[in-house]
Amino acid sequence: MTGNVTIMVNGTRLRCAATTTVAAALLANGHGPGLRKTEKLETPRGLFCGMGLCYDCLVTIDGRPGQRACMTPVSDGMRIETP
Amino acid sequence: MTAQRIECDVAIVGAGPAGLSAATAASMSGARTLIIDAYVEAGGQYWMQASDGRLIGSQAAEGREAIHRAEASGVQFLKSAEVFAAYPDFQLFTNGRAGTARIDCRTVVVASGAHDRTTAFPGWTLPGVMTAGGGQRLAKTQGVVPGMRIVLSGSGIFLYAVADTLLDKGAEIVALIEMRRNETVLARHLARFPERWLEAAALFGRVRRRVRRWLNGRVVVEALGVERVGAVRVAKLDGSGIETIEGIDSLLTSYGFQPQIEVTSLLGCAHRFDDALGGWHVEADPATGRTSVDGVFAAGEVTGVSGARPAQLSGTLAGYAAARALGLAVPPEATASLVRQLARARAFGQGLGRIFAPLPELSRLARDDTVLCRCEEVTVGEVRAAVREGARSLYGSKIWTRAGMGRCQGRMCRMPMTMTLVAATGRPASEIGYNQPRVPARPVPVDAVLDALSADATSNCSTPASNRLNVSPAKL
Repeated sequence: MTGNVTIMVNGTRLRCAATTTVAAALLANGHGPGLRKTEKLETPRGLFCGMGLCYDCLVTIDGRPGQRACMTPVSDGMRIETP
Repeated sequence: MTAQRIECDVAIVGAGPAGLSAATAASMSGARTLIIDAYVEAGGQYWMQASDGRLIGSQAAEGREAIHRAEASGVQFLKSAEVFAAYPDFQLFTNGRAGTARIDCRTVVVASGAHDRTTAFPGWTLPGVMTAGGGQRLAKTQGVVPGMRIVLSGSGIFLYAVADTLLDKGAEIVALIEMRRNETVLARHLARFPERWLEAAALFGRVRRRVRRWLNGRVVVEALGVERVGAVRVAKLDGSGIETIEGIDSLLTSYGFQPQIEVTSLLGCAHRFDDALGGWHVEADPATGRTSVDGVFAAGEVTGVSGARPAQLSGTLAGYAAARALGLAVPPEATASLVRQLARARAFGQGLGRIFAPLPELSRLARDDTVLCRCEEVTVGEVRAAVREGARSLYGSKIWTRAGMGRCQGRMCRMPMTMTLVAATGRPASEIGYNQPRVPARPVPVDAVLDALSADATSNCSTPASNRLNVSPAKL
């Protein structure tokens, strides 16, 4: 147990457990399940395989686009954008 | 970014039941052993460890013990590291949160596991539709449920295991939908394995008592919703008996598992196809895990899906074989008994695989406008058109349409692509083939590749105590 951290989701402050993944933090706090729109057909996508293989749960983390929400642990001050 | 270069005798890919057992066996035999795993915590998909360190359920406890055994035997762990390149000269490259690594080893044990097989059906890309394994992982590692009103659909005992987890977490299972209608065959199979009766009866009992509805011989033919799934249409495989189940917030689906063959493919190992074993899997000798490539061993689900118990046993055998290939002395006593236990455990798991193997009718669920390749957003209609123009294989269809060319490297669409092509061409799946993975096997930033290539600070895996005591260095 390492307590809680603060992350920013689309500019809104969120407290969550320090050991959680971005995907779990978002779902547990009412974000999603849609996390992005696809490039071609512009349809919504969210967590699908949940284990780092399908690359559907991509979000922007600290300015870097295309990061897997299911594989990324949160850290204090992390900024997450779900376009 | 930091890059490290690690030298070891045995590199194990995957820290699930097979990989952990292999690592412990190799290290106990005196090999400098490195285990590489994609996730923050070792354990794989069966021995998953909760991210906050809490111990939930007997599988997590069993997994923690196995992790401790591997650590105590001197195995070095490289966690949060995904293999993106593997070369037959025994060089592996990994990338992950800890940076990149170049690994030089003398033998490899691939224990890369398996993931859910899913079929394509209208609505399967909607948020809220997930693989059952994904739902299980979310609940077990994060303590979060994918929804509160869930439909589970597909085929196999795993649906029950996931239902059990989610019910314990307070979610409602609105319906558990099994494609097959095979209770008699299942009962006959179970009857041959008394050692599994207690476990099976307990699981079925707990789940059937608590799910709202339990439907056999039906499939979800469509997921409905705009921004997220809100309902499903359910029917028999011939399309009759259609009904709509409304008011749900999550659909979890799984038609068994498919082996993760990218590392064995990159290493040039021979593979074969069997629907009951999850489709394409690496060919490996049951007693040693030896593949068609010298020095490359395989264990667990990548050698054909059959469950966690066979994974553990085949892992131990492959770990010993990898050490023996290096000239190390391996304790001979256990091997024959392990091989016997493995045969029986595999017969149980593979029998289930045959009973719940996907039916060809699943290929009819997709319409022409259903997305088949989720990454490149290629539809079933485009793939069918490619077949009309002359595409005959998975690789051909990839060239024609870009299906399987995206970020996931054709993992998610392998089963629906194969089923669509079998139906459209009339060729068996073994002839449709699979996509040979390309380096990088997983998306990786260019700077990470450069880092890995230039890594020259070598760290050696420490020599386990057993090696220092029992094995003369001349043998290495």
